[in-house]
Order: sequence, then C-alpha cells, then structure tokens
Amino acid sequence: MDISADDLAGGITKVVLRGRFDTTGAVVVELPFNKVATEKQKIVVDLSAVNFLASYGIRVLLVGAKVVKSKGGSLVIVCPDNNVAKVLKTAGMDSLIPIYQTEAAATAALAS
Amino acid sequence: MIAMSNAGASRLVLRNDVAELERLAGWIEGFTGQGTSPDVSFAVQLCLEEAVANIIMYGGAKDDAIVIAVELERNCGALVARIEDNGQQFDPTRAPPPAPAVSLEQAKVGDVGIHLMRSFANGMDYERRDGRNRLTLRFVEPAAPSSE
Repeated sequence: MDISADDLAGGITKVVLRGRFDTTGAVVVELPFNKVATEKQKIVVDLSAVNFLASYGIRVLLVGAKVVKSKGGSLVIVCPDNNVAKVLKTAGMDSLIPIYQTEAAATAALAS
Repeated sequence: MIAMSNAGASRLVLRNDVAELERLAGWIEGFTGQGTSPDVSFAVQLCLEEAVANIIMYGGAKDDAIVIAVELERNCGALVARIEDNGQQFDPTRAPPPAPAVSLEQAKVGDVGIHLMRSFANGMDYERRDGRNRLTLRFVEPAAPSSE
C-alpha cells in the first residue's frame, strides 16, 4: 500500500491512498497519514485506488478525521469503490466522515 | 503450509503473527480466483482478515504459540470458511453490536471488525470444542437474475 499528498488550491490537501487497506497496509500508511492529519486543516482522502478496506484501515481514517476535527478542520473521503463504500457504510463511517463521489464536490464542500 | 484435505477444500495453517495476514490474503485469492464473484471474494477476504486478525491480536499473550487453521470449501453452491484456533475462548457471534456514534468527536475507535463479519457473511456459527475455537462462516453467491 502507498500514500501521497498534494496541496490543491484553497488550502486543501489531497491524500491519495493506493492498494489494499487491510491490517498490513494500514500499518504502512498509518504514520504518514497521521502526519498529514496533524499538519493540515482541509483534507480530501481519495480512495479510488483502494480495492480493499478492513477494520484497521477504518481505524486509521477515523483517527485522522478526529485529529483534523479537533483542530477545527475537516477531512472528507472521495470516490470509494462499491465494496469499500459498503464497508464504510456498514461500519457507520458514512455518518461521521462525509463521502463524495467527485473531487469537485469534495473540494467545494471543504471550501465553503 | 497448504494441503488439500479433500476434493474442493483447501487448508492453511498460520501462526499468531501479524505478518501472516498477507499470506492469508494471497491464499484466499488463490482459492476464490476462479468461479467466485468479486463481491463474494471481497466478503471472504474481509471476514477472514477480521477473524484471523482478532485471534492474532487478542487470542493469547504475546509469547503464546497459537495455531490458526483456516479451511475454505465449496459446498452446495456456498463457500464455507472454517477457522480453528487454540487461543483463549472467544465467541464472536455473542459480541454485542457497536453502539452508533453520535458525533465524530465521541466516536469510539475500533470494535467494528465483528460487525463487518456479521454483515458481509451470510451465516456465522461458533463452537468451543476440545479447547479450541471453531468459527464457521458461509458465503452465498447472489441469485443470478432470472432469464424469464
């Protein structure tokens, strides 16, 4: 699994996660993901290249969202694939972390 | 260690080490590779990852040698997974569902793995026998759309 972060316009940071977000993958991205969550205020997490999500991955996303929220910022998810979206919904994450189907919708929500 | 125990069944034995989860994922992919829909493959991967990760992380003390045997088998159109371990007694079918979080600030981290297993498997049975946990999970392919 890998992670990259890029600054977009409007003080928004886009984090792209790729691969299998299981226990093994989550251990790899946990520290760099927490670093971005600690340093940035508006974060879009692109899950379009994540083909699998398990509970440890959910934990990483939730901890990151909590860290950003505690600073008055916001973290949103964009483009999860069908099964990944189903995992997020089943775990109740869809009511805690906003999920958008396009990057435009996600950045518009963060800009407002 | 992979051995064919009978026709159509496959068995994998794992140690209680987080590094074993990668081997589990590759082994499941090999079994479900053909003749299994992407949704059922995903469900099997998810449920077995959650079940085995739970045993590795909570099945015993750090130095306990826990042996986890996983079997996959096709049976009457369903895919059946059996997970057997000699760790401490734990019945995931009796775990209470997680309480819905009222806000991001108050949301509890963790506790979703068993809930995911319950939701993605079509059946989950547990028994404690001879000092071992035996968990059986069933996965059923969704019915093909009628051609009529």
